[in-house]
Amino acid sequence: MTSADELKQKLPAAVVSTGMQLNKPMAVIKKEELLNAARIVMEMGFDHLSVITGTDYTDRFEVVYNFFSYEKKQNLVLKVITDHDAPEVDSLTSLWKGAEWLERETYDLVGIKFTGHPNLVRILLPDGWVGHPLRKDYDMNTEQFVTMGEDGNDIVSTDGKNLLRRK
Amino acid sequence: METDELIINMGPVHPSTHGVLRFRLRMDGEIIKECTPVLGYLHRGTEKLGEMKTYMQFIPYTDRLDYVSAFPNNYAFVKAVEELAGIEVPLRAEYIRVITMELNRIVNHLVSIGSLLMDLGAATMIMWGFRERENALQLFEKLCGARMTFNYIKPGGVREDIPEGFIPQLNEFLKDMEKRIEDYEQLINSNEIFMMRMKNIGVIGAEEAVNYGMTGPTLRGSGVNYDLRRYEPYSIYPDLDFKVCSRPEGDSYARYIVRIDEMKESLHILRQVVDTMPEARIVSNAKYGTAPMTGTPSAVSTYFPRIFTPPAGEIYSRIEAPKGELGFYIVSDGTTKPYRVKIRSPSFCNLTAIPKMVQGLKIPDLIAAFGTIDVVLGDVDR
Repeated sequence: MTSADELKQKLPAAVVSTGMQLNKPMAVIKKEELLNAARIVMEMGFDHLSVITGTDYTDRFEVVYNFFSYEKKQNLVLKVITDHDAPEVDSLTSLWKGAEWLERETYDLVGIKFTGHPNLVRILLPDGWVGHPLRKDYDMNTEQFVTMGEDGNDIVSTDGKNLLRRK
Repeated sequence: METDELIINMGPVHPSTHGVLRFRLRMDGEIIKECTPVLGYLHRGTEKLGEMKTYMQFIPYTDRLDYVSAFPNNYAFVKAVEELAGIEVPLRAEYIRVITMELNRIVNHLVSIGSLLMDLGAATMIMWGFRERENALQLFEKLCGARMTFNYIKPGGVREDIPEGFIPQLNEFLKDMEKRIEDYEQLINSNEIFMMRMKNIGVIGAEEAVNYGMTGPTLRGSGVNYDLRRYEPYSIYPDLDFKVCSRPEGDSYARYIVRIDEMKESLHILRQVVDTMPEARIVSNAKYGTAPMTGTPSAVSTYFPRIFTPPAGEIYSRIEAPKGELGFYIVSDGTTKPYRVKIRSPSFCNLTAIPKMVQGLKIPDLIAAFGTIDVVLGDVDR
């Protein structure tokens, strides 16, 4: 029995389907039940949250969580599917502190909101950046320029004319 | 007497932040109340670039993530692609890959320890470290013509076979390095000032380190005896004999000792690999994918299609890079380019714990603790 099946046995209401992510057992979780499922996953001994990935499939977003158990040496993958218009899933920061930056990064680059995150602001791009670059409909033709304002904060603008200090 | 809290900006241009990292520190007198890392000054959008390049074209971009140890980056991406596409690799190529990766681990730890000591005010180690690093870089140069950004490991094997005279030079390096590491230990390990600066500084316990997602030497310094090379083995690591180095203390000193021990283990691995290296081809000769073959097939063993299409699917594949767990999450939609590339970089995840580690310490302690985390900003910001 894979660890995904074990999770299904413990929380049948949350698991939509089980399968494999190539060579790792994977469970697709209902969006509302993510936090419950994650709690059970943690109780099952999966103490290492390896990575959080958000992927834009143009009609939906998929958020993938890769877990690992140091004790059992097993992998488990959770996948949550969220709608494209207002992507929002629960934050796992209450369980894994390491999730904080991973979720901020996913918010920054993919634009998925994590409910319950203590400080959901951009992490790699400056505040005020327009769009989320890893979305498929991101406008690649508009240039954005970052300058430093009087107060030390970043200012993003699409007008680069005054930035070139030519005589 | 009452004191006000003070916000201090450390970085983005600061010699001790190893690149362009900025700390916003809320200080009460000399005590750090809160430390907030501000990232993104070196963000180049590598993940977005990955969606626009073919699998082969993306390999040079991985060099530029953790530029101190680029071979493991190459390998981590190539390994994910190989697993996704089902490409088999000749044994000799795996041996060459392990040589490059372990050499790079030594180089990485030399730079890491050297810059740590320099941040603490001892300039000797960085001179010594860079002296030995130069010998290793000359080996890399001999191997693939580049000293830092290699683009050497590719799906199906490696780009070139090892050149003549490489193995003797490597053996010389190994022999030399053994003595050098002893020198380092004599110079640093029991130095009183060094111990005062490092012991009980930046302490993080095993459970917390795991919860923060720390990996690599920083995790092993907290007493979690875990190494992907041993417990989720890839390449030829199952056949090799090596020790997983760990220390229970969880402070900066423990993380430093783990790095020194790992260098010794890398030497041990390299000696075994050199002794048992098989003579055979270095690139897989099977045909992969359905895309039109480009390039001219020839009798030369380095031929591999430049464009190939892995089947649709997703994979998360990880390796033990010198800094920790380096993983690539790739989604393929069955075309010649990846649909999504996600880089799980060890530096980024290890850095998550720094605000916790330095709370209540002083700024010089922040520098000591940060030095033992060993981040490279290209890897953090991607």
